[in-house]
Amino acid sequence: MKNPYEVLEIKETASKDEIKKAYRTLAKKYHPDQYGNNPLKDLAESKMRDINEAYDYLMKNGGTNTYTNGSSANYTSSNSSTYQSVENDIYNGNLSSAESRLMGINTRDAEWHYLMGILNSRKGWYDQANTNLSTACSLDPNNFKYQEALNKLRGMNNSYRQPYYDNRRKDPDICNICASLYCLDCLCGGGNC
Amino acid sequence: MFGYVTPCKMELKIKDYEKFKAYYCGLCKSIKINIGNLPRMALNYDMTFLAILLDSLNDIDPIYTKQKCGIHAFKGKVVIKNNSCLDYAAFCNTALSYYKFLDNVNDDNSVKSKIFSLLFKNYLKKVPTDFKKHITHIENILTNLYKLENNAVDSSIDSLAHHFADLTGFILSSYNNDDNKESLYWLGYNLGKWIYIIDAFDDLKDDMSHDKFNAVNFCFNKDNLCYEEFSKQIQQRIDFILGTCAAQCMNTFKKLPIKKNEELLYNILQYGLLDKMDKVFKRGVYKDEKSI
Repeated sequence: MKNPYEVLEIKETASKDEIKKAYRTLAKKYHPDQYGNNPLKDLAESKMRDINEAYDYLMKNGGTNTYTNGSSANYTSSNSSTYQSVENDIYNGNLSSAESRLMGINTRDAEWHYLMGILNSRKGWYDQANTNLSTACSLDPNNFKYQEALNKLRGMNNSYRQPYYDNRRKDPDICNICASLYCLDCLCGGGNC
Repeated sequence: MFGYVTPCKMELKIKDYEKFKAYYCGLCKSIKINIGNLPRMALNYDMTFLAILLDSLNDIDPIYTKQKCGIHAFKGKVVIKNNSCLDYAAFCNTALSYYKFLDNVNDDNSVKSKIFSLLFKNYLKKVPTDFKKHITHIENILTNLYKLENNAVDSSIDSLAHHFADLTGFILSSYNNDDNKESLYWLGYNLGKWIYIIDAFDDLKDDMSHDKFNAVNFCFNKDNLCYEEFSKQIQQRIDFILGTCAAQCMNTFKKLPIKKNEELLYNILQYGLLDKMDKVFKRGVYKDEKSI
């Protein structure tokens, strides 16, 4: 891993608020969505990954020493280790264990909603997954990982529909016939019965 | 609850259309031979899809014959015969219809359903022994679903649909134990969820006017809106869930080692499901259609 302070372009003495501020500025600058099909998009993506990694690292480890008191720092770090094992569980397909771990956490931050969203989409509970991931994104709008997961869930729907709508557009008249015939004829053979 | 999984006829090749009919008639014949004449009335398209999908995973050529039957008395129909996937679908069809009748009896005490449930119960005794444990399992899942529907307190649409999805996953993946079991379960889970939710949305108007339980109404209509307002408000959300389920079915289907009928199955999952959604949401070509 690269030096997180260098990635976020801050001093090693930076406070938690300064880290957050630096992260937001960089995330805005490098968010891959704004690059469209531009070849720079890949570069922005890898830069964004570094930024996220650095930010996560500093939020978990550094940054807590000066501006937060001991108890809440402990809280954050114990949650983050639970999050890690939840992620492993989901990755290994052990969904029920991941779920019971998540339900045991009382402070539900963006990461919690993100993991819950991933878990629910693995379970096939898409409505809840959509709600969870949207919440994660609104709690932390600059997090690329959350946005990507939400886009992936919604994108699945759109790319599936594409062949159907393309066909309809190519052949608008046929579809009108189709509609008018629908009531007259059923698949068991209709008029031949 | 049944009959939503069909091909989109306009996108179908004639040969696939004929094949689908042959499976459909074959299923009807199989019910007659294995179970009895009366349960043929419960024949449905979803179970035809089940038979086609399972049969497409082996490379045995289906046997087509021309047969006459009571319903099509004068004109012979092409029928697939001696097919164990059709027999499996025939048993599933009968078992599911029986529990559907039973549910109707509990819901509104309908006399017609009561009579049918008693008749079907007798027919169910005829199922072969290796299918008995399937029936017990189906019964358990459906009992849980009906219990949940009757005592639902704060359920989400995902948790309500889970039981029917699980049931469909079980049915699709329990024909035999091979490598495809996991994929078939996942395809079935998503398809079952799709059926449960599209059926609920399709029945929304009816259920609301008769004050019957409806999963969509129960989960989302917190402000007690009237049908017109509510259905407009919720449509996009339902459309998202249905589209995602259907997309997952398609993705899983692509991973299966399909040996035959590939274009027919592709048609059902790619065009048939979306066509049904257009029909239920009254959009696209169905926009100006009067209700039939």
